[in-house]
Amino acid sequence: MAGALRRALGAAAFMALTLVAATQAAAPEVHLSITKGFGEKVTIAVPLFRGTAGAAAPADMRSVLSSDLRYSGYFNVVENLAFVDDVEADDRRTGRVQFREWLALGAEVLVRGDVAVRGEDLVLEAQVFDLGAGRSIFSRRYASQPAQWRATVHELADDIVRHLTGERGIARTKIAFVSNVTGTKEIYVMDYDGENGRRLTKDGLAALYPSWFGDNSAVAYTRFRNSGQEGVAIDVRTGVVRRLTSFPGLNAFISVSPKGNELAMTLSRDGNPEIYRLRSDGSEPRRLTYGSSTESSPCWSPDGRRLAFVSDRSGSPQIYVMSAAGGSEERLTYQGSYNTSPSWSPKGDLIAYTARVEGVYQICTVDVDTKKVVQLTTGAGNKEDPSWAPDGRHIVYSVRSKGKTDLYVLDIHDLTQVRLTSGAGDHESPAWLH
Amino acid sequence: MRRDSRQFLVLVLVIAAAVALSGCGKKRVAEPVAQPMDTQALRGDDLPLTDRDETIYVEPGAGVFENIHFEFDKYRIRSEDEPILQRIARWLKENESIRVLIEGHCDERGTNEYNMALGEQRALAARRYLVGLGVSSDRLVTISYGEERPLDRASNEDAWARNRRAQFSVSQ
Repeated sequence: MAGALRRALGAAAFMALTLVAATQAAAPEVHLSITKGFGEKVTIAVPLFRGTAGAAAPADMRSVLSSDLRYSGYFNVVENLAFVDDVEADDRRTGRVQFREWLALGAEVLVRGDVAVRGEDLVLEAQVFDLGAGRSIFSRRYASQPAQWRATVHELADDIVRHLTGERGIARTKIAFVSNVTGTKEIYVMDYDGENGRRLTKDGLAALYPSWFGDNSAVAYTRFRNSGQEGVAIDVRTGVVRRLTSFPGLNAFISVSPKGNELAMTLSRDGNPEIYRLRSDGSEPRRLTYGSSTESSPCWSPDGRRLAFVSDRSGSPQIYVMSAAGGSEERLTYQGSYNTSPSWSPKGDLIAYTARVEGVYQICTVDVDTKKVVQLTTGAGNKEDPSWAPDGRHIVYSVRSKGKTDLYVLDIHDLTQVRLTSGAGDHESPAWLH
Repeated sequence: MRRDSRQFLVLVLVIAAAVALSGCGKKRVAEPVAQPMDTQALRGDDLPLTDRDETIYVEPGAGVFENIHFEFDKYRIRSEDEPILQRIARWLKENESIRVLIEGHCDERGTNEYNMALGEQRALAARRYLVGLGVSSDRLVTISYGEERPLDRASNEDAWARNRRAQFSVSQ
């Protein structure tokens, strides 16, 4: 991630103030004069960015930053924008941050932005202050193509999260998913906030179950071809599709290993749906499960040493884990008679899955060690296919309601839900890019 | 793979011994269609799938290849569908050059993901049954469409019952 950050920033970023460079070198770099208890949020003021930047309206930039900060789960954003902009005007007029005025608004942190177009670049200079301590937390200059202004604002949001919490932000992550908006199911990719959606596949036949390759360059999925299924991978930039598997029967639920060098998937080539482990090009399939029941939907643990999967060996589909080398199988779920679609959290402690509860599919987690189950969603509408964000705090999943399926994101700490997709067509089977 | 074939061999020997001991072996050879072995008890591993080829499959003519149906979340062949499979097996013995694509389908109620595995189990169950009736396993290929291709898009018991099916296509 550090490499991607540096690449995205380009040379300009390294000309930032020495102070910032020194701050960034120290780790962990959690700056806050206020100590927050678990679940308590920091209140942050986001005044209108100053300046003009062509296509990127300062008001839109503020709006994206504010929603990024709320989305992260760590912040409340001061809502009275008229008051915020008044104090900002005082700051500008006096040339100093009016710490007491900001504190009077209830703000604990202030983020200030100046935007301008310099040459071909959109330049955003951001300063972030700890208002209680009366000092700067960090300042940084971001340069990008004007059309990339959203990505620039997302990067600032991730920097704020990192400096104030020590956690990695998710504002620049992407989500792959399936949509039937063209009349056929195809794979799409969008930003983590539902923006910049674009179609990836053009198979014209159902494309299902996307899974990201670890280096983020490609998405693996299942498609139908020549009276059979194929496991394929599509290059995100070029759109070139390469075939991974075309075994007889199932070629489904590809899960790419954390290092990206191996796949786990479900094949029925031996006459029964079983879990197999393959090289990342689909070669050298090695069978991991044996039995006459259905073994399906493998999902790697973040350390790559175990796999979660679904088996109906008990008479109903339940969540199990096993060694990624095969063996050491252990049942995790005992509540209910229909538990499917496991997704292993990036922190390794929880597995999210779909559970049928009183006739409705809900998202639950099970603790891998204690087997404690927590039901995260309630109410009508079938929720399916959970996928974790890299922060281990957010889960994206689909909700079927009133004959239409859309994607939602849940913050597992405060259980707030945000809808990501709308408009024509169904949107389902999300996979969060790690 | 070596491990697979060894297990397979062991299973074949065990089943052969069981068949011989129970005395059904001769009966099956004499009258395979009328008195099938208990194909529901056959393990999936006994019948590996044949490698894919370029065969094109088309909708069969009316009459023989009726759809068979399943209970919710189940893939066991229902006794009322056994005559359909027996008719198909007889037809396939008279038309030895024809191969069959067995499509497994589900209703919309299971989870999308698990239904894909369940659909394959339905196709495989039909395949095992036909093999039990003496059809060569390499003439029978399977595909699952999960809940992707319902016959009836309504959300009611009748539609769900129609959609939980195995459907047959034949080689040209």
